[in-house]
Amino acid sequence: MSIVTAGVAARKGIDIWRLLGRVFLTLLVLFAVLPMVYMVITSIKTQFAALQFPPEWWPSNPTLDQYWTLLNPASDVGQEFLGYMWNSIWVCTITTILGVAVAVPAAYAFSRFRFPGRQWLFYAVLLRNMFPAVVFLMPLFILMRWLHLVNSDWSLVLTYLTFGLPLSIWLLKGFYDNIPVQLEQSARIDGATRFQAFILVVMPLSSPGIIATAIYSFIIAWNEYVYALTFLNDKSKLTLPVGLQRFFTEYTTNWPGLMAASFIMSVPVVVMFLILQKYFVRALTEGAVKS
Amino acid sequence: MAEVKLRDVVKNYGQVFAVDHVSLTVEDGEFVALVGPSGCGKTTTLNLVAGLIPMSDGDILIGDRVVNDLDPKDRDIAMVFQNYALYPNKTVFKNLAFPLKMRKLPKPDIERKVLEAARLLDIEHLLERRPRELSGGQQQRVALGRALVRDPQVFLMDEPLSNLDAKLRGQMRSELKRFQKDLEATVIYVTHDQLEAVTMADKMAVMSGGVLQQYDAPDRVFAAPANVFVAGFVGSPAMSLIPLDVSTRGTDVYLVSPDGWDCRLSPENGARAVKARTGKVILGARHSTIRLHKQAVPDAVPGRVYTSEPTGDITYVHVFLGKPVVVVSVEPQVRVAPDEAVWLEFDQSKLHLFDGETQQALTD
Repeated sequence: MSIVTAGVAARKGIDIWRLLGRVFLTLLVLFAVLPMVYMVITSIKTQFAALQFPPEWWPSNPTLDQYWTLLNPASDVGQEFLGYMWNSIWVCTITTILGVAVAVPAAYAFSRFRFPGRQWLFYAVLLRNMFPAVVFLMPLFILMRWLHLVNSDWSLVLTYLTFGLPLSIWLLKGFYDNIPVQLEQSARIDGATRFQAFILVVMPLSSPGIIATAIYSFIIAWNEYVYALTFLNDKSKLTLPVGLQRFFTEYTTNWPGLMAASFIMSVPVVVMFLILQKYFVRALTEGAVKS
Repeated sequence: MAEVKLRDVVKNYGQVFAVDHVSLTVEDGEFVALVGPSGCGKTTTLNLVAGLIPMSDGDILIGDRVVNDLDPKDRDIAMVFQNYALYPNKTVFKNLAFPLKMRKLPKPDIERKVLEAARLLDIEHLLERRPRELSGGQQQRVALGRALVRDPQVFLMDEPLSNLDAKLRGQMRSELKRFQKDLEATVIYVTHDQLEAVTMADKMAVMSGGVLQQYDAPDRVFAAPANVFVAGFVGSPAMSLIPLDVSTRGTDVYLVSPDGWDCRLSPENGARAVKARTGKVILGARHSTIRLHKQAVPDAVPGRVYTSEPTGDITYVHVFLGKPVVVVSVEPQVRVAPDEAVWLEFDQSKLHLFDGETQQALTD
């Protein structure tokens, strides 16, 4: 009898926690999703409907006009927007490629080789992450002026690399630490050079980590605003986050247009993340549990 | 196949010597086990032969080539690792083909050799699988196959059986030994399990602290251990080792225990015992060379039973001789109770005597 009641009580306890958990998660989802939903809804409203009060939850005349305008290279607006988009894609792609090209060998070296100052250097790499980005704004600007890179894409590429690399290296090192060194040794005995062993055996095994690192670099660069705002003046060089802002203060605030542009900007990131999220999660939890 | 020669091989990390002037020769077609407790330098020695880590000093020869500065790939060796090190993203076929592919063999030859090795190891039906879809025993065979597929000069094996369960390990032990004999392969085999070394090897190299302690055929190592370490390491249960003082009374030589008992030695053993540098010896006796009596008999020493361990066909009795504990084997029908008084008689012809200071065997 007492055992039965104890059992029921225990189950009840779990249910309350589970319920609280669900409520909390629901609130969290609403918090994250509502602005997105409102953004999408606003983007298909007419200019007039967007400013109506009380707001319309679902537009009476939904329209995709804003999207057509933005994505139409023939229109002035479209031309400008697509230019920003192209700049963003260019900067982010170069950043990602260079980031991976540097992070892969760096992480491998930290994981496999014992060299003087290895520990110290590794912590130095992570030290960067202890400071907020703004702290580096002025020093980097001055540095870029010295390098004659102000108002150039490369100032952003360099900056994003500085910020993306530490975590990339750290993520990838975790991956390499988990690949048994015997695999490479075996390959070297089987007739591979050290480099071949790396390319033929280690690289394929670390591809999830490399993909995760690449997404991470790309997203960081894609969303960055402050540095792009500081380093770039030339309108033709602006990236999307900065471009959007300038764009819509110039032509009065076209809210549906701004929302449509924001939506388009978030699409690549979301799509990339959805497709590759399993790699990303694996990269972040790699080594948490011994397999 | 080829002979392997190590000459004064050293691997040190600053003041720490992982391998300390090891010299030994593995004859062509010989199976040599490097054996010792963990951290004794056996795996480091193997990795030096493989060329996976740089050597600090000395020479390694494979055949008549000095391979000191050669890359692993140029040493013409094959290696089986403890964790098998199968390439997880390749099928079994591709795993077996990898060493041949790296050596740029034509495709038909690769296929023929892979199939040949697979047939030999009875893994033909697994060729399209990936390593994680295989059982431990099957993975082990694939690892072995990848080593066999390429007729190397030497096989290096780093605890290849220790990840298998006990039954499979026993089976693979005899299979491996048979392969080695059939192929007349030169094998250097690292293990921490002295039983594996004793049962499989033509010669065993017992290592401790980076130093080669003894290099000889297993039966020789068993019968005449070179020092206290080897005596305690080889054989199971381990040899009982008792520190004692030497004392001469007239023509007889006695071993005297600080716990109050003494034991008269045969004239031959007496002659060896008196060679001990400081009058201290360590007496070694295996369980099977000690007789247990329930009454006092001449030349037997008194002791007290600690525990007995029946294993079915033999019973091991642990007996206190003062402070040290001695293991004696008796017939299973012999029953002893804890704390029972017993007398132990040593077989003088099979006693081992070691110098109490240098720990080296005292020989004639």
